[in-house]
Formats: sequence, structure tokens, C-alpha cells
Amino acid sequence: MSASNATATNISRSEKRTLFRFLGLYTFLVVLILGLGSTIYYNLQKDLMLQTKRLELEEFSKELIDGLKLLHIYFDRYRTYPRNPLYRSAIYDADKVLIFSTLKDPKGVRLDKVIYTTPKHQIQYIHVLDSYYLGAKYVVVEIDEDRAWFYTAWRNILLGGGALLALFLVAGILLARLLVAPMKEAMSLLDRFIKDTTHELNTPVGAILSNIELIRPERLDSSTAKKIRRIEIAARTISNIYKDLTYLTLHHQIASDNQDVDMSALVHERIEYFRILAESKRITFQTDIAPRITLHIDASKAARLIDNLLSNAVKYNRRNGTIRVMLKEGELRVADTGIGMDETAAKEAFKRYKRFDTAVGGFGIGLNIVAMIAKEYGLRVEIVSQKGKGTEVIVQWRVS
Amino acid sequence: MARFLMLLIPLIVTAGPYRYNCVACHQRRNLSLEALFFDYLLKYSSERRVKAALYSFIKHPTKKKAVASEDVIKREGLMPQTTLNDTDLRKAINTYWEKYKVFGKIR
Repeated sequence: MSASNATATNISRSEKRTLFRFLGLYTFLVVLILGLGSTIYYNLQKDLMLQTKRLELEEFSKELIDGLKLLHIYFDRYRTYPRNPLYRSAIYDADKVLIFSTLKDPKGVRLDKVIYTTPKHQIQYIHVLDSYYLGAKYVVVEIDEDRAWFYTAWRNILLGGGALLALFLVAGILLARLLVAPMKEAMSLLDRFIKDTTHELNTPVGAILSNIELIRPERLDSSTAKKIRRIEIAARTISNIYKDLTYLTLHHQIASDNQDVDMSALVHERIEYFRILAESKRITFQTDIAPRITLHIDASKAARLIDNLLSNAVKYNRRNGTIRVMLKEGELRVADTGIGMDETAAKEAFKRYKRFDTAVGGFGIGLNIVAMIAKEYGLRVEIVSQKGKGTEVIVQWRVS
Repeated sequence: MARFLMLLIPLIVTAGPYRYNCVACHQRRNLSLEALFFDYLLKYSSERRVKAALYSFIKHPTKKKAVASEDVIKREGLMPQTTLNDTDLRKAINTYWEKYKVFGKIR
């Protein structure tokens, strides 16, 4: 799993993500509600138009029925269908068979309806007769639809809907900010706590370590020497955490002092530093470190990177395990024989405060720091892990 | 001549039951078949329903089924039950429908 896309997780980023998710869902619901409202409004406008036209069409149908009645009575002498230029009409018998029509399209008539619009923008009104003049049970009267209502309805939907959408979106943004505020506050509290804790850790840890260095183990009995060694391990662990937290909280305030760092010497030095921690779990180091490998980087950041890889390799390793460290031109590999992790966990590994085993110590910031340093110096970090077998972290850089 | 006869015979055969039974009787009593047809049309509307009503009435004439006015029934009485067999009766009804139907006659 590459660290290229999983660099520093900060408050504003997670806030934005939550905000966008909320806004996406909110917008979808708003559009759904507005769509539903628009459909209801459109259908109401259409019904209103049809009810207005129905009165007119009823008058036309009465006139037509009078004409049919006369034609029925005088059919032996007179056979001209009653016509009016204001409307078109048709008559159907009780079995819905067309008797006569002046309609534009008599095939699409829906005799089970009362009034409706056709796809060709005509309004058709159906009148069912009680006395079947000329055998006609259904009288259909048709006029062309005046589309003014349609354009008015759509204009109102677009203007009103647009205004409502804007209003809802503004309300949504305000709501989202309210929603995110507690999370933002919690993250800010956590960061403040880490800063304060870090500040308070520095002096006592420094004092413990410097005093331990002054003690001569050969002058101590074996039991006391063992206890002192345990204190040193604990102090180094705290010191490591302190350095990580300092980097995390203050790295943007400290200018980088980039230079050609002798990575071979640094890796050796950091292994020695962690050896005492590793020994407490009976972990042994296997090293394959090429000499004179250099990298243009801030030395303290390079140390942070190596320390975090070694620290994780110790923390997540099993007792009597091994840590294999390999350094060659353009590549550093740190592999452990520990618990390993699955693909999903490997993807999340670079996120801040992500811990995969709460039984071991730490804040879940180590690999996040590695990712941050890698991003700053254009290094490629990859995790190759297999659950139950171990994890290998590969750091690669371009060799000029 | 033979061809003319071949065309004429089916017409005579088809129109026969209607002409020699329905028309003959209605002419004698001076009762318009056309007016009765339009009464049927006014009450029953479609071809299927008109034919079914005619068949039912001619087979078993009752006052309830009759479409003629009460005055006419009082004056002329109900028509007697038909002596035509089913095939001839249906032929007569078909001829009657074809003669007076409005389909294709409205302009």
C-alpha cells in the first residue's frame, strides 16, 4: 500500500469530507422533494387548465349531440355530419367501434377517460350518451391545446424551484457547519492536549536519560543493573513518543535543514538506539546496510522516519522475532516477523491515530509521520504485509 | 347469362328470408322497418348488441323486449313468434343490418 495519497490527516480535511458527504445527501433529498413538489404543481396546473377547458368542451359536445339527434331522426333524407370549425369530433358505438370522425388521430382516443391531453397537444373530452343517436354511445370532442399554461408552469417551477434550492442549500451549509462543530472542537482539544503533554514531557525525560547515561553499570550489582536497564528502555520509549509528538505539532514551524545525510551511519545509529528496546522482547536485528548511502534530507526528519519504522517493527513483532533492515542505493527496507495486517488495514495504515493493536503502546501517529516526511521529500513508501507473517515497509527515493 | 345468374343467386338466397318474411309482413301492416332499425340503434348502439336484441325479440317476442311504441303495439299487436330456423333468422338479421346501418353512409 502506497503512502502517496495518505499523508497528513488534518482537521479541515476530515471536516470537509464530512461536510461534502452531508451536503451530498442533503442536496439529493432537497432535489427529490423539489422534484416531487414540482410534479404535484405541474399536475395541478394541468388539471386547472383542463377543468377550465372542460366547460367549453361540454358546450361543444351539447351542440354536437343536438346535431346527432337531428341526423338520427332525419337520416333517410339528410346524412351530413354536424361540424363546427371550433372543434373536431368523433362518435363511437357501445363496443367502442368508430362510427364517424373528424379527429386528427381517432386511433389514440381513450374512451375510459373524461378529459385529457394527447401527445400531439390536443385536448379530448369524452361524453357518454344515454340515448345512442346513430348508435353513438361515446362522443369525443377535440380542440388544440393552448400551451401557454405549460410554459407558465415550467417558468414557475424553474424560478421557484431554483430559489428554493438555493435557500435549502444555504440552510444545508449552515446545518453542516453546526454538525461539524463538535467534531472540530474534539479534534482541536486532542491536538491541544498533545501539544501540552509534549511540552511537559521534555524536561523529565531528558533528565532521566542523561542521568542513566552517567550511571556506570559495572559498579552496580546485577539486579540493580537490570532495573536501571528497564528504566532506560522506558525512558527511550517515552523519548521516542515525545519526538513524534513534537514533530507532529511543530513540524510546520521548524525550517528544514536539508543536507546530504549519511543514511548508512544514521541507520546504524538508530538500530543501536533501538537495540535495547528490541532486546527486551528478545528480538534480533539482521542488517544488510550498504556503506556511504546518502540522501538529501533534514537529518532529524530522516531520524524520525527511521525511528518510526524501527519502533513499529519492535512494537508489532513477536517475542524472539527478527527485524531485517536493508539499505541500498535509493531504497530502505524494514521488515518484521510480527502480527502483520490485512489489505484493508494496510490501506488505513498511514492515517493519523490509526492503531491496529491496542495491546501495544503508541498513539497511532508513527506511519502518519513517515507519510508526511515522505511527501515532503518525494519518497515513495509502500507497505507489504501478510497477516500472521509480518510486515515490510519499503522506502524508495530517486537517485541522482 | 350464366355468369349473371351465378352472381344473382347468392343475393336472392341471402336476401330471401328477410324479403319474404320480414319485409312482406311489415309492408302489409305499413310498419317502417327503417324506423324500427333506428329505434334499435337508439337503444342498443352497436352491431353486436342490436343483432342480439333483434334475435332475442324475434325468437320470443314480448312487450318488454319490443322497441316499438305502446300505441303501435296496441294497434298492431306483438309480432308472432318466428317460424324461421336459426340460420335463416340470422341471415335475415344480417341483411337488415347491412341495409340500414349508418357505417359508411355519413358524409
